[in-house]
Amino acid sequence: MSGYERPMTERLNLGRIRNPWVVVAAYNEAPVVGNVVSGIRRAGYAVVVVDDGSSDRTGDVALLAGAVVVRHPVNLGQGAALQTGIDYALEQRADALVTFDADGQHSPVAIAALLAAIEPPGIDFALGSRFLTGATVNLPVSRRILLGAALWFTRASTGLPLTDTHNGLRAMTARGARAISLRQNRMAHASEILHQIAQSRLRFAEVPVNIEYSAYSLGKGQRISDALAILIDLFARRLYR
Amino acid sequence: MIAQLLLTALLALVLVYAWSAHRTVPIIGLLASCATLAGLYFVWVPEHATALAAFVGIGRGSDLILYIWVVISLLIMLNLHLKLRVQLDMITRLARAVAIDHAKESRREAGPPRKRRQVMLGRKAAEASPIELQAKK
Repeated sequence: MSGYERPMTERLNLGRIRNPWVVVAAYNEAPVVGNVVSGIRRAGYAVVVVDDGSSDRTGDVALLAGAVVVRHPVNLGQGAALQTGIDYALEQRADALVTFDADGQHSPVAIAALLAAIEPPGIDFALGSRFLTGATVNLPVSRRILLGAALWFTRASTGLPLTDTHNGLRAMTARGARAISLRQNRMAHASEILHQIAQSRLRFAEVPVNIEYSAYSLGKGQRISDALAILIDLFARRLYR
Repeated sequence: MIAQLLLTALLALVLVYAWSAHRTVPIIGLLASCATLAGLYFVWVPEHATALAAFVGIGRGSDLILYIWVVISLLIMLNLHLKLRVQLDMITRLARAVAIDHAKESRREAGPPRKRRQVMLGRKAAEASPIELQAKK
């Protein structure tokens, strides 16, 4: 128990933010989710893992590592899982939320930086960026090109001047979280969040974050074919609204 | 005559579908009804179909009816797609509610292993910081 004391005092130094929750959406991540959760717990944060109907022991591993686990009875997709985690955290009276990837490519150190960015009143979102100074090692060229295309698409459709549009590391205040309502269950939620941030007219800040690309996380990441599926999802959503 | 009866039966089915769709998605119901009624008319008065087909630049009246049928099918597909999306939305909300309720329940059950905490939890479970609750697990 005493292990939590030091990081907790660090966390309380944040001031306005008293009850931050880290939201992790996980689907079949049993090999890595334990380390991810214990890393976040060691840094002193409450964490809710949304087990998105995994067929492996993702939920059990996360629970043992100290997370609150919310299990989808069926697989619904990352966007749906994030929204579930956000809903749960808000019900627990979270005043700040951080979304964090389950595959181990994010560092818990970034959480404090993101929370610090939404500390000043008036800023409700902090978006992690791989491309601001001081960020990201070993990003493969193909991934860089794909992200560049996504960036162009997002700038054109939302008007947000971002440097990185598809980063799973984000922080938001409770007010920001309430302005978000993800209806894109699958991967198109990353663009959807940005659209809703733009529509909410709440202010955001970008924070440089480091992403560690491992063989594991690259194998799980998005490919060109996924990008096409995302575009179709987004387009379909606009047709039906 | 056999073909005409068969087509009439099929188109009548579409008409029924269009009528039921009219209540939920009026525009699709309306379009489908119009197209189906036109189809029925041309099945029984093929000369007019041929004349109209020639007028719009299609060789035969039967081709025109075929095209109308294709259009109706596409409209139905679009409507089904829309319904599927709505259903997925409902399933998502349902699964989310179930998942969150389960999580809250199991946390309540796993909650108080010691007496001292039971008192604290009983009084202000909602205000207790989730970090504290988790840390004591």
